[in-house]
Amino acid sequence: MIRDSVAGICRSYGRTWFQELYKADKRSTELWENLGENGFIGLNIPEEYGGGGLGIFEICIVCEEAAAAGTPLLLLVVSAAINATLISKFGSPEQKQEFLPPLAAGRSIMAFAITEPDAGSNSHQIATTATRDGDIYRLNGRKTFISGVDEADWILVVARTGVDDKGKAMLSIFVVDAEMPGLEKTVIETAIPSPEKQWMLFFDDAEVPATRLIGNEHEGLRAVFLGLNPERITGAAMGLGLARYALDKAAQYCREREVWGVPIGMHQGVSHPLAERKIELELAKLMTQKAATLYDQDLPCGEEANMAKFAAAEASINSVDQAMQALGGNGMTIEYGLADLWPMARLMRTAPVSREMILNFVAQHSLGLPKSY
Amino acid sequence: MNIVVCAKQVPDTAAEKRLSSDGTLDRSNDADQILNPLDEYGTEAALKLVEANGGEVTILMVGPKSATETLRKKALPMGADKAIQVTDEALHGSDAVATAYALAQALKQVEGFDLVILGSESTDARGSLVPSALSEFTGLPGLTFAKSIEVDGNVVRIQREGDKGFETVEAEMPAIVSVVKGINEPRYPSFKGIMAAKNKPLDEKDAAGAGIDTSMVGLANSKSKVGEWKERPPKEAGTIVEDDGEAFAKLADWLEENKLL
Repeated sequence: MIRDSVAGICRSYGRTWFQELYKADKRSTELWENLGENGFIGLNIPEEYGGGGLGIFEICIVCEEAAAAGTPLLLLVVSAAINATLISKFGSPEQKQEFLPPLAAGRSIMAFAITEPDAGSNSHQIATTATRDGDIYRLNGRKTFISGVDEADWILVVARTGVDDKGKAMLSIFVVDAEMPGLEKTVIETAIPSPEKQWMLFFDDAEVPATRLIGNEHEGLRAVFLGLNPERITGAAMGLGLARYALDKAAQYCREREVWGVPIGMHQGVSHPLAERKIELELAKLMTQKAATLYDQDLPCGEEANMAKFAAAEASINSVDQAMQALGGNGMTIEYGLADLWPMARLMRTAPVSREMILNFVAQHSLGLPKSY
Repeated sequence: MNIVVCAKQVPDTAAEKRLSSDGTLDRSNDADQILNPLDEYGTEAALKLVEANGGEVTILMVGPKSATETLRKKALPMGADKAIQVTDEALHGSDAVATAYALAQALKQVEGFDLVILGSESTDARGSLVPSALSEFTGLPGLTFAKSIEVDGNVVRIQREGDKGFETVEAEMPAIVSVVKGINEPRYPSFKGIMAAKNKPLDEKDAAGAGIDTSMVGLANSKSKVGEWKERPPKEAGTIVEDDGEAFAKLADWLEENKLL
């Protein structure tokens, strides 16, 4: 039923609406707020803070259905899956009271700033510093590929607050206002047609009240790792939705498009590759649901979350690509909405964790092979 | 104000429909059962009126046992306060008039309603007879094919959609109103609506419990009988108009001939 409502709401906006937004450089705020008012952005936020009291499994449904309607919302992965989880698990009662209700209602968005020019997959290399100075911390450093900063009220920033005995960075997490003195934002032009933009952030002695430290000082790494599995799982769900959108389009087209008197879907050269993509998609979905179920039961799910993200990304790319092939020239048009979806599907292989890092993980942890880096 | 929405469960509108050997709709296939789409408009209209004026929305559904699921999964999550479901083997196969009788009897047990709202047709039978027949049985004024509804004191006023425009029609409440597609945009159930629907009151009754005389209902007691029937002829090739510079006139003629203009 959650699925039906979310699908209905997203489809009432639809792919063409989404395309008009990115063409006009507008934002998808209206859809976000609609989903929020109806209680679907905050499904995984505790009920006492205005959320649905459910888990990552349910927020995955929202990610998947939004993408399947041709209106993928990347910020669900960031604001709802990572940040709401971190604040719920590590925030003080006052912090939860301040941030969670507006996030749950879809009135506010919180961006997530971890990646840096010199620290991508390796969080230990984070160079942005937060230095305590009385009642405040001073932030200095750069963040890159931060999604949706212009739509956000707040940004959750991961920064270095010290070094341990072994010389390793000790990290802390802060919620900063998206508009604050000492913070400059520059958009990064990408080839992903979407209303949600990527940003570079520059912190220059930006002052953050110490009350905005989430959890204990120096213990941010543990918190971050806890947020990364929801990111992978909901990222996978989004990939599944993109794959579904593509296969739905292709199947409909191949039932109706006739060449030499029969629908092209009658030709196995057309139908079998689509059938294979469908199998890939359903298998990826099963692993995504397994990972989400384990996560929601507080069980280890690193292996499953990684595998789900890998499988969903590949299913997404392959489905969009095969659908474009099935549609012939129409596969390249904006009207059918496939070619302009491909960069988003392709992004899934790179972010939030690359295909290669997942293979490293599986080789090392699942197969017991030597660590490669 | 209190509003009763008479709603029906129908096979998914998009599913293929077939007739049984007796000429009635074959309901034995495995098509998904959904809330009649026109009744979604009716439910939305009722919810809007109650949101503006206060009161309660009750869904009244005459249908098989499986209708419970349609009530719990759609009509109640949309925001209706409670439901009455009348289920009895004796009602099976009732035609529009028999159904309207059954609804009228069930309505006698509902206290203090101001409006009864129905979709103007169900997407399976498409007779559009029930609203008027219900008006006859209840003796209440019937305002049909509403494309808008407004309430002004004790008066309900609608814009009645017609072939060549609309008429404004009003009546004192209580009254019966049927609504057309497009009167509003039915909402999708919110998360709160979905959760709340599980525990909303659903009063299940059999025919006797709803005060229905079973000699008035069911396939055998229905006054309309299927005489002859045949399958819809296969789709024929359309007319192709070559554009020789005058195609617009031919298209306009065709639209006019087919009463589409």
